[in-house]
Amino acid sequence: MKAGIREFLAEERPEGYYEKLIRDLEEANEKLRMFSVINRELKSGMPFSVKDNICVKDVESTASSQMLSGYIPPFNATVVEKLDKNGFGFIGKTKMDEFGFGTLGVNCIEHPLNPFDERYVTGGSSAGSAAATAVLRHHVSIAESTGGSIACPSAFCGVVGFTPTYGLVSRYGLIDYANSLDKIGIMARSASDARYVFEMIKGSDKYDTTCVDHEVTTEGRRKLIIIDQLIKGVDERIASSFDKTMCKLGNLGYAIEHRSVPFIEKAIPAYYIVSMAEASTNLAKYTGFKYGLKVNDFSKNYNDFFTEARGNFGAEAKRRIVIGTFVRSSSVKSRYYEKALRIRRMLIDSLNSILKEGFIISPTMPIVTPKVDEAEALSPLEEYGMDSITVPPNFAGLPHVSFPSDYIGGMPVGTQLVTSHFNDMALFDFVGRWEEDFEYRFKYNVGAL
Amino acid sequence: MRIGLEVHVALPTKTKLFCGCSTEGDEPNTAICPTCLGFPGSKPMLNEDALSASLRVAKALHCQINEITYFLRKVYFYPDLPKSYQITQLEGAVGHDGYVDLGRKRIRIRRVQLEEDPAKIIREEEYSLLDFNRSGIPLDEIVTEPDIETEDDLREFVSELRSILYYAGVDIDKEMKVDLNISLGNERVEVKNVTGIKNLIDAERFEVKRQSNLIASGQMIAKETRSYNSEMLSTVSSREKESDEEYGFIYEPDLSAYPTLKDSIPDTVIASSAARQLSSKYGINEVTLKELVMFDRNALRLIQHGLRCSKAGTVINAIELLKRHNGIMISDKGFEKMLSYMDNGMLLNEDAIKALLEDRDIGAEKNAVSAEEIDNAIRDIVSSRQDLVNEYKSNSKAFNFIVGMVLKKYKVSPKYISERLAEFLKDKA
Repeated sequence: MKAGIREFLAEERPEGYYEKLIRDLEEANEKLRMFSVINRELKSGMPFSVKDNICVKDVESTASSQMLSGYIPPFNATVVEKLDKNGFGFIGKTKMDEFGFGTLGVNCIEHPLNPFDERYVTGGSSAGSAAATAVLRHHVSIAESTGGSIACPSAFCGVVGFTPTYGLVSRYGLIDYANSLDKIGIMARSASDARYVFEMIKGSDKYDTTCVDHEVTTEGRRKLIIIDQLIKGVDERIASSFDKTMCKLGNLGYAIEHRSVPFIEKAIPAYYIVSMAEASTNLAKYTGFKYGLKVNDFSKNYNDFFTEARGNFGAEAKRRIVIGTFVRSSSVKSRYYEKALRIRRMLIDSLNSILKEGFIISPTMPIVTPKVDEAEALSPLEEYGMDSITVPPNFAGLPHVSFPSDYIGGMPVGTQLVTSHFNDMALFDFVGRWEEDFEYRFKYNVGAL
Repeated sequence: MRIGLEVHVALPTKTKLFCGCSTEGDEPNTAICPTCLGFPGSKPMLNEDALSASLRVAKALHCQINEITYFLRKVYFYPDLPKSYQITQLEGAVGHDGYVDLGRKRIRIRRVQLEEDPAKIIREEEYSLLDFNRSGIPLDEIVTEPDIETEDDLREFVSELRSILYYAGVDIDKEMKVDLNISLGNERVEVKNVTGIKNLIDAERFEVKRQSNLIASGQMIAKETRSYNSEMLSTVSSREKESDEEYGFIYEPDLSAYPTLKDSIPDTVIASSAARQLSSKYGINEVTLKELVMFDRNALRLIQHGLRCSKAGTVINAIELLKRHNGIMISDKGFEKMLSYMDNGMLLNEDAIKALLEDRDIGAEKNAVSAEEIDNAIRDIVSSRQDLVNEYKSNSKAFNFIVGMVLKKYKVSPKYISERLAEFLKDKA
């Protein structure tokens, strides 16, 4: 079960391996709907899938939005370029909440279903990436997180989801949600596979100004810090599962400490203000005449033309455009947008000082995986509230990982570990140690050798 | 009357502000890429040359320059704006609080900001076309305080600004786009997108007349945006909402904050103040000097050099002579030689100047003619061709014929020959 990327690439694949892989994947996809595009031409390499908001040359890339239907980028994202050149083979585009706007993975047409049980959601927004990782035996997925879009679906689908320090992986080719928060990361079935890919895709890129070459460290921590405000009010089943996990970790020799962080409860509103403000400017470019969905009635004046085209956004996208436009408007900007930026600064400082002492640990999600109908009945505010644990590290650009730590009623549960900026490698060591004693379960093993 | 300007000029770079596309695209929509088309997934990367050029302009306009400079997104919807936001600056701009000195007064500069040009709209009768070659060209927007109070101020300011931009390395032959804010009463009227200096003056005149007439007849001047129609020589209301524009500025999160390295920005010569100084030091007419140097950095350099080794009058004559021969690209050594010929009363014909420009000493020597030689030649003709001398008063052809004869031999300025000939003939009258 431990055979990873290195072993896969070293081994000879049997004749017809990729043909069978694609056939089996298509069959699974009929049921689980995690891919929007499957590459039938795949003939070699370690299969990798790409979240649909990351551009792959000559392949439709829509961020699961109607607005971008038909958009075929003439270039590869830098991550895709790097994987292509390093023995990986593109297997398909994975579905997501439209533009990354969602926690549960249901904000798109024919959203993916959880491979553990199709009555359940996958989590979002990297919904299809998590499901694909839970389905394919030898595969990694390139996902993206703005406020928790890697950790959440990784927890719900029982895979390892790694989100790097902001700025370590080039965003060139990423269809932006909130540029100051967007991070391209990795989903895999083991910490070592995630690490293998991370080492390959990190590093500066002249096409992304915010991307840096920075030494990435492996400083282990012997202390695990629980921030009480974060786990207050989590589902009872999650709380007792987390206690069990902490017991195991205590037995492994970690010291456990409880702390509180000033203003951490402001992370959610501040995060949503900054992300929506940026998102509303990023979505302004979708006006229906250069790419993606096109309006063909050119007799209208430009305002009416744009208005008609922009009617094709989904409900959540429209909501974020309206709120995001409001919070940056001149009369209220200082009360919302600018204040939220100050809160981000404060939060970064206070989390950094704690992270010098140890890892911050928590359940990844405050709830057990919801069923599809439960998810669809949630109000937007209830959905935003579910990000309470994943938002703080994302808002602060801190590296974090969600790893499977338990199964409740057959559904996986994730634990989230956060460390200091640029100490990303320490996360892989920690999860690698965890994996020595804890075996991940999967219902599907498509492509097993 | 109070006028404030927002002047947009293209900066001298080979590539665009945020991508590697050429700024010299010819055939429409050929110098384009995912970034300047605003394609999803593309990102901007700052052209450092544009930043340097912009900082140089800011310094030349005596602006305050902060340690770092950064960009904002200005969001509005218009077909020429590919991302529906323009990457521009406001607070955090390359420069602020500078001035342009007109000698008798100063026009304060509020801000110099670096920003991207939108695409070009080509309006046809039934439809419009977009050329994205222009999208992403680096622009400086220079915003003045409303310190311009007369048409003379306006003309002088524009001329002075163009000269400064020229010396800062900006190509001033490229179209200059100006937004004109003008108020005679209490409310400010903005005339948008005036291109070229002639149109700017015409737009200003029209607005002054329009607003004066409204005031004279007791009417209110509405705060509004108007556009200038160069065929009608008039401004028309753009019928936009009268409230302040809401652009929802946010920080540009795809770019960084950039150090300005403000102590290493090169200085720019201010030609008019150099002219003023030379004029008072050497007693040269200031207007003449300015005409020679405002848009000619070689002329200024040569004059400064020449004044160290020759008489002021000779230097000015030499520069004027060179300009007539399109020959301002002369070496310092050649120029010194030229001045020494002229100081010694030698006349320089086209061949002599050509030789000087090419640093050919022998050619110059051979073709430089002394005034005495010309006088002798004229005297010879006048004495040997009595027929022409008799005729010259009734027949201008006779006069020109003599000039032509001398010109053919010596190729010096016909004006000079005419003057000398007239002098000779004066006695013969």
